[in-house]
Amino acid sequence: MRLMMNRRLILILTVLAAISTATAQNTAYQQDPGWKPPADAASKPNPLHDRPDAVAGGQKLYRRHCAECHGPAGEGLKKAADFRLLAVQQQTDGTLFWKIKNGNPDRGMPSFSRLPELQRWQIVLYLRQLAPQEKSSQ
Amino acid sequence: MRFYFVLFLLVCGLASSAPAQERPYFVTYDHHLEEPGNLEIATASTVRVPRDGQPAYIAPWIEIEYGVMTRWTTELYLEGISTRNDSTIWTGWRLENRFRPLRREHWINPILYFEYESINEASGIQKEVVGNAEISNESNADLRREHAHEIEAKLILSSTVRDWNISENFIVEKNLSEDEGFEFGYAFGVYRPLASLASGRNCRFCRENFSAGAEVYGGLGSTNGFGFKDTAHYFAPVLAWQVSENSTLRFSPAIGLTDVSARALMRFGYSYEIRGFGDRVARLFGASR
Repeated sequence: MRLMMNRRLILILTVLAAISTATAQNTAYQQDPGWKPPADAASKPNPLHDRPDAVAGGQKLYRRHCAECHGPAGEGLKKAADFRLLAVQQQTDGTLFWKIKNGNPDRGMPSFSRLPELQRWQIVLYLRQLAPQEKSSQ
Repeated sequence: MRFYFVLFLLVCGLASSAPAQERPYFVTYDHHLEEPGNLEIATASTVRVPRDGQPAYIAPWIEIEYGVMTRWTTELYLEGISTRNDSTIWTGWRLENRFRPLRREHWINPILYFEYESINEASGIQKEVVGNAEISNESNADLRREHAHEIEAKLILSSTVRDWNISENFIVEKNLSEDEGFEFGYAFGVYRPLASLASGRNCRFCRENFSAGAEVYGGLGSTNGFGFKDTAHYFAPVLAWQVSENSTLRFSPAIGLTDVSARALMRFGYSYEIRGFGDRVARLFGASR
């Protein structure tokens, strides 16, 4: 009887965890089609791509500057992008860098040009660590 | 008293960890605005080290800055002065707004700045230096009777070059209470963080938490007499230290460059940023996240 209860409890917790994971995604997020970098900015490579030691700094910067809107796990809050989506992860490093630098006033995304350039690349490096989900934006 | 206690608790309750990332300048503005919804509360002081015949003073002020939108920041100043061998008085308030007309980052980024000042002639914070230098030996009691309603506009131009910020401010001010013409001033500044890369650990004394540079500012006369004659000018090294995730200390010893400038202006300040303040207040009134 107790075994049955435990199994049922585990099943309920698993379902709840699955539901909370699914609903944690920011389904309201829609990409702004007009928010695109020029071609030369989009093709810029990340100068820190071979510096895995810089990821920890990127994570710290992400928590400081991005987590308030994009969520601690990059899930996206309010209108902010869910960084785990393929639609985000498929963007080039240069595109993400350009978006961090310029912001998007129409969506309330501020410019982070006040950060040193390498720190912005560190954030891009960390964004790549956020596991992509098999779901694209609407 | 109870109101202020409740207000204090409210602010503390709404406070969350947030990066201060303050510019080290005291006078010069760059093109970085407050992030929307963030509230910054700062306190700072200007200490005048006088030349012969000038009174020494400390002029403290409180600054409340709020990011209204991504391209609009508003700021309220409350200021006072305490003069040696004289008195301590309230000198007035200022309301400023900064607008960013362009949507993207450019080689030069303009910001439009408008300010209204309701101050008296005892004001000494020297948030900007304009017009001709006035050397007054009147007491605070006399100076506070002369009230000034002033409007001020600035064109702020700012660039980022290899982690260096380079800013130029051009100032025009009009006293609506007296016929002084339009007064002019300038401020130029450069600074950079001491480290370009962020370390992975949470550290207080890492180089990345410090930024340093210098600014120069001064008056350019008025429409009654444009130029450098009888104008005050200062050169000021600036230093900012991000003490914690949400607070910054700033220090700047400004050296007077002309005979009518003060010998020095010692400036120091502390700022505390509350991230997502607007959202938190909205949620208090039932708005969803």
